[in-house]
Amino acid sequence: MRTRLGSMILLVTMIAGLAHGQFLPYPVHKRTLPNGLDVIVIETPEFKDVLSFNTLILAGSGRENEKGRSGLAHLFEHIIFRHDHDTPQAYQAAVESMGAFNNAYTWYDVTYYHPLTFTSNLEKLAALEGSRFRELRYSERVFRTEAGAVYGEYRRIASDPSLRLEEILTDLMYGKAHGYGHSTIGYLDDVKDMPNAYRSAVAFYNAYYRPNNAVVIVAGDVKAEEVFRVVEKHYGPWVKRPIPQQPDPGPVNGPKTHHEEWPSEVPPRVGVSYRVPAFSPGSAEGAVIQAMAEIMGGETAPLYRKLRFDDQVAIAMYVDSNSAAGFDARPLSTDVTVAEEKYGQQGRPLLNRIAADVSSAFEGLASFSSQPDAAKRLESIKSQLRFDILASLNSPSNIAENFANYYRFTRDPQVFEKVAAAIASLQPSDVDAFAKTHFRPQNRVTITLAPKGGAK
Amino acid sequence: MKHLVILAVLFFSFGCTTAVDPAPPVAAAPPATSPVVPAYAAGEPRVVTLDSQAPLITIRVMVTHGSTSEPQGKEGLAGLAAEMITDGGYRTASGSMTKEQLAELTMPWGSGARPTTFPAARTTTFFFTAPREVIGRYVRDVVRPMLNEPLFEADELDRLKNERLSAITALRTTDLENLGLAAIDQYVLAGTSYEHDVIGTHASIPGLTRDDVIAFYRAHYRPENIIVGISTTDQAIVNQVREAVSSVNRDATTPPPPAPVVQPAAFTGRQAVVIEEPNAPAASVHAGFPIAVSRADSDFWPLYVANVYLGTHRDSFGQLYQKIREERGYNYGDYSYIEYWAGRPAALFQLFNQPREQQYFSLWVRPVKHEHAVHMMKAITYELDQMVRDGLTPDQVEASKNKARVLYLNLAETIPRLISARVDDAFYGMEGRGFLDTYLQNIDRVTPEQVNAAIRRHLRPDNVKYVVVTSTAFVQPTVDQLRSNAAVFGKTFEDYEFTQAKLADGTTVWQIPEAKVPTVQLDAAWANYPLNVREVTVGHVNQMFAGPTMLK
Repeated sequence: MRTRLGSMILLVTMIAGLAHGQFLPYPVHKRTLPNGLDVIVIETPEFKDVLSFNTLILAGSGRENEKGRSGLAHLFEHIIFRHDHDTPQAYQAAVESMGAFNNAYTWYDVTYYHPLTFTSNLEKLAALEGSRFRELRYSERVFRTEAGAVYGEYRRIASDPSLRLEEILTDLMYGKAHGYGHSTIGYLDDVKDMPNAYRSAVAFYNAYYRPNNAVVIVAGDVKAEEVFRVVEKHYGPWVKRPIPQQPDPGPVNGPKTHHEEWPSEVPPRVGVSYRVPAFSPGSAEGAVIQAMAEIMGGETAPLYRKLRFDDQVAIAMYVDSNSAAGFDARPLSTDVTVAEEKYGQQGRPLLNRIAADVSSAFEGLASFSSQPDAAKRLESIKSQLRFDILASLNSPSNIAENFANYYRFTRDPQVFEKVAAAIASLQPSDVDAFAKTHFRPQNRVTITLAPKGGAK
Repeated sequence: MKHLVILAVLFFSFGCTTAVDPAPPVAAAPPATSPVVPAYAAGEPRVVTLDSQAPLITIRVMVTHGSTSEPQGKEGLAGLAAEMITDGGYRTASGSMTKEQLAELTMPWGSGARPTTFPAARTTTFFFTAPREVIGRYVRDVVRPMLNEPLFEADELDRLKNERLSAITALRTTDLENLGLAAIDQYVLAGTSYEHDVIGTHASIPGLTRDDVIAFYRAHYRPENIIVGISTTDQAIVNQVREAVSSVNRDATTPPPPAPVVQPAAFTGRQAVVIEEPNAPAASVHAGFPIAVSRADSDFWPLYVANVYLGTHRDSFGQLYQKIREERGYNYGDYSYIEYWAGRPAALFQLFNQPREQQYFSLWVRPVKHEHAVHMMKAITYELDQMVRDGLTPDQVEASKNKARVLYLNLAETIPRLISARVDDAFYGMEGRGFLDTYLQNIDRVTPEQVNAAIRRHLRPDNVKYVVVTSTAFVQPTVDQLRSNAAVFGKTFEDYEFTQAKLADGTTVWQIPEAKVPTVQLDAAWANYPLNVREVTVGHVNQMFAGPTMLK
């Protein structure tokens, strides 16, 4: 295995004309506590005095399977900050007085808590974090206040059609059978009703906030043994429990299409999505998913050039590889923002033609290897992916977060090396095979959106 | 073949006439051979470095001219010129490089190797990143020719102009947060060259020509107007980059026009503009006034600490956040600023490379229910007023300094951030005492006396401009409330879910929990605080980005 890995990396270095040793230039230490909690330490002493202390919960909005209760994972992200609120031990006040940047995010698969502080605060911060995860205390009043804040967050982003497009896509692709069937923030009606979702929220927390469903990732100017000691002390008493099984998402039964009318004058949009398989870092299919943003949506992609530069019907185009990587099969989406002037001249047929261009380009990838320069382009893309990952490892927080993004799938501390190797060994025939299996009409959902009243 | 033709056009255009472009493209620069031109020797660029061993090298090239240097009627030109440099192709030793070829060339070196631009009001910055091992080739084949021999392909200009116009529409209709920010930006600095947005206007963009772009480039892209940041101290690399930018328009025969000096029009009292956005699901409230403090001034750090106390960006620490969101649940975020916030609104931490000498103080409340907008205007002004009157206690200063130290961890987090900050230091003339280099010492040194003196000197709650963006039905009620100057309450006792009780005599009274009494008292103080807005203007979103003034 070692030998094979070495040769893969050599392949990339030859392409880029560079010499590299191991991919991740920092040592990764791992320990699993008796309660099932994985603790990862990445020592980066050149970032002097910096401590990035992160807790990854392996549950996001994709685990919300109760009808009418979308958005609970995100709501809980807010609640966790209210541990011991209105008491002298209030979590937030304690973190504030210690001094830390403290934030979190929720997405479809994970909720990630990422305080950043000085190394001298290690013991104090571990105590505060351990306490809020293992013995969360909050009142129903706090719950209702936070539910109101989430509604404010919804309103803040609702003027952009992107949220509505996501709602339509997730519903068409998954329906109500799977937590991927709604956006992370949740449906408006559910968000409005969140103040009444107390019991469902508690049930969500009890099911998923468990040490065997979490990872602590610490990066910075730290020593692994010291981190293991304090994390064990403060996260050790957290009680493990079996994690609920996830329902199967079922087939897409595509092709499906939908046209949405928007109440105001926005640039029209075209979204074409395919269901792609659950992500596995280090696999050829995983590498194809990662490369797809560039293969189809990069500035060198024929589709991108046609829509943006030759026909000039698109003012923006984006292929989203990032949100295609999931515990379960996810949508790989292409989002095109249409030039209003062209839409004004051509109307709805233009949107349909763009959608057809996108789907035929994706389904045409089944013969990617016979495209002119396919092998050469793929080598460039592989090199770019490699340098983009390296460029992203530019601070303890970013190192930890990028590590978490891969580690969560296989819990393998060598995951960066495996990802690099899979990218290095990617061949045009892998893209053909992926496209033949997954970029098919039965996996496709197409959504168009334009201002009400049609083209003027 | 197309590129050869364009190359020929450009080549001749610098000589003054072409068959394709009849107008002389370089009106400001007479031919080099003219005997009446006084002797002029181009200056030198300023170069700042950072000692880093990271596998990728970051290069920032800042031109110290931006949208405030645009001639009247040519709003949006600076940004278009910058995009034409990154997207409009350039001449190479063997021919030309289109943006498509450039994408292919740079792709193996990572996404950051494809040059991008960050156009701003006072500056235009280009971002370049490449692996250390190929940096020499990268500077030779990309950085140098792109900046020195741009082709400004006419087709690209048409495409970029259309994209601009679409972006303006999107800003008006889908991006309400940025709309409110653009409005306050323009309103506070009305009457100056900051009044129009970097993006340009619906009136100006269609008329911008390739000659305009070339003239802007020739006038302002000069070695003495360039600041370069490089994340290495390797002399060979530094010298190569220095040479690349030293030669930009070096053949110019007249000095570049000076950077615009802006004196914002003084205004007294409070004034408001209410902007109708039919599609607004909620209202946004922004307020501000110019301040004469930049990073280079000694009052900057005490004012910085005071602002951390009042309204740290996207953080729960600030008083505004604590009182408006935390205690009362009005909205998502309530913040204050002593500088233009580059990367707004989404960036959690200020980005660099949008420096300005002319700054303004601002307050943001967004989003709130439409009917709460005026109550929020009162709330933030009351809080500012109180802070200026009472100052901060030593404990509050200490807590804010502690918070400010933590912010440093994010501001100085990555190599690109560190080198970008040094470029801004050079802009502000702060070499040797850089913003991040001295940040922690400066915070440590701030005293409560300095904080309170700086607050009193620079924050003037009596002279404030407000922007409210709200939906059609709420425009008139908002205007009426502002004009009447009467008390305006926000959340009601029902909203707070207080209960009612019947007294022995049959009257009904509200029962307010003791812990909530201070909240209710402050609510009343906010409600009764007189805004005394002496001038209320009403506008429509379609008047924004329409012409050279805020509301055409």
